[in-house]
Amino acid sequence: MIEFAGAKVRVEGGRTILDATATLRERRVSVIGANGSGKSTLLRLINGLLVPSAGSVSVFGRDTRTAGRAVRRAVGFVFTDPLSQLVMPTGREDVELSLRTRKLPPAERRRQAGDVLRRFGVDHLADRSIYDLSGGERQILALAVVLAVEPRILVADEPTTLLDLRNDARVRALIAGLEQQVVFTTHNLDFALEADRTLVVDAGAVVFDGAPADAVAHYRALVGGPVHGP
Amino acid sequence: MRGFGSTMGLYEPGHGFLYRTPLPVKAAGSLACAGVVLAWRSPSVTGVALLLTLAVLMVGAHRSPARILRMLLPAAPVLVILALYQVWLQGWAAAFGVVGGIIACLLAARALTLTTPVQDILDGVVRLAGPFRVLGAQPERFALALSVMLRSIPYLAGLFVDVRDAAKARGLDRDPRVAVTPLVIGAVAYAHRTGEALAARGLGDHDDGSGDDDIDGVDIDGGDGDIDGGGAGSGDGSRVRT
Repeated sequence: MIEFAGAKVRVEGGRTILDATATLRERRVSVIGANGSGKSTLLRLINGLLVPSAGSVSVFGRDTRTAGRAVRRAVGFVFTDPLSQLVMPTGREDVELSLRTRKLPPAERRRQAGDVLRRFGVDHLADRSIYDLSGGERQILALAVVLAVEPRILVADEPTTLLDLRNDARVRALIAGLEQQVVFTTHNLDFALEADRTLVVDAGAVVFDGAPADAVAHYRALVGGPVHGP
Repeated sequence: MRGFGSTMGLYEPGHGFLYRTPLPVKAAGSLACAGVVLAWRSPSVTGVALLLTLAVLMVGAHRSPARILRMLLPAAPVLVILALYQVWLQGWAAAFGVVGGIIACLLAARALTLTTPVQDILDGVVRLAGPFRVLGAQPERFALALSVMLRSIPYLAGLFVDVRDAAKARGLDRDPRVAVTPLVIGAVAYAHRTGEALAARGLGDHDDGSGDDDIDGVDIDGGDGDIDGGGAGSGDGSRVRT
């Protein structure tokens, strides 16, 4: 459960770029809105990458300001560009880097890394340079790297934006199959409709919060696009 | 962004006795090579060191001379400039002693990184830094710093080539400011993104060993109903006052 209680983010000069109050309990929550509307800021509040200037954000009752480490352990974060996410030269090494936080013996860490890569169907890419992988392969690897430590919640910031149709479908299927609660931003309204609940963010405020179909219609009306159809 | 991971040379799976040699032995060998070359700056010692490192790579890692030469390509511009400078300043013999020594050290270090998975190197660094725990240091952070460094070198090399190509495409490759400014900005942006990625993954967080880092007591599959399984959203489906 994620709770935004009057969470405000202010930038230099005191301007408020986000002001949110919401409690997210659903298994799949999508966040939609125009570029620069505050979607990513909202997501960054969830795992403590950003702490609110006022109000609070809590995850399973733990405040991101005072229990940042615990919250980061519970919340995995996937960036839009997997190259920003992957720190090591190969996928296997990156998964092992994630597992280092568990302080396992090297042999056990290696075995678990292999298991994770197999589970996500990328074990055949494990020893290839991350630069030699396609965008879709990198994004699935980035998901594997984050999910290797089994976070309770996955937060994904436009995880399909850089992908072609085939890889878009792969990543969406993978996310759909996760047992974790997933909160994601997207510009793909079909993807947004797959959620159980959708927030529409505009100019730093949650301007609509409800069923995905209604939220998409609201968003289309907001930006002046066609109201009918995805 | 193109990658230079393989060119700059990290671990590559393979066969040979080097792959089976324990990390401390390889590290000691690499250090010994550097020590000998620095202590006896003579062309003959350099020649022996070069031959030995070449032989070790060929026999111990099954690498051909052509592949070994390719490993030196990223450092070639600096080595050529250094060689020319040494020839001009001190003559051929001294130039061979200095540049050949550097090449021997590079190959010795490459023999280690080529045949040792990065995670094994990081484990070695953690063990090496273990005694510093008594001073409050966290050995895992040493390893994390090393891993970030290993990742940054090929990234920045790739960024340099991209920036140079972009300048060339616009006919601005003769203006050093055009090459350097985006490189510096790109490097700072990369450092920021890497820091954010590490923070997002909880890597580098201080471990106080208190065990107060877990969020427990919540049944993700329903249970007390903390996470709803589906259906319509629980938002009120209307405009939200913020």
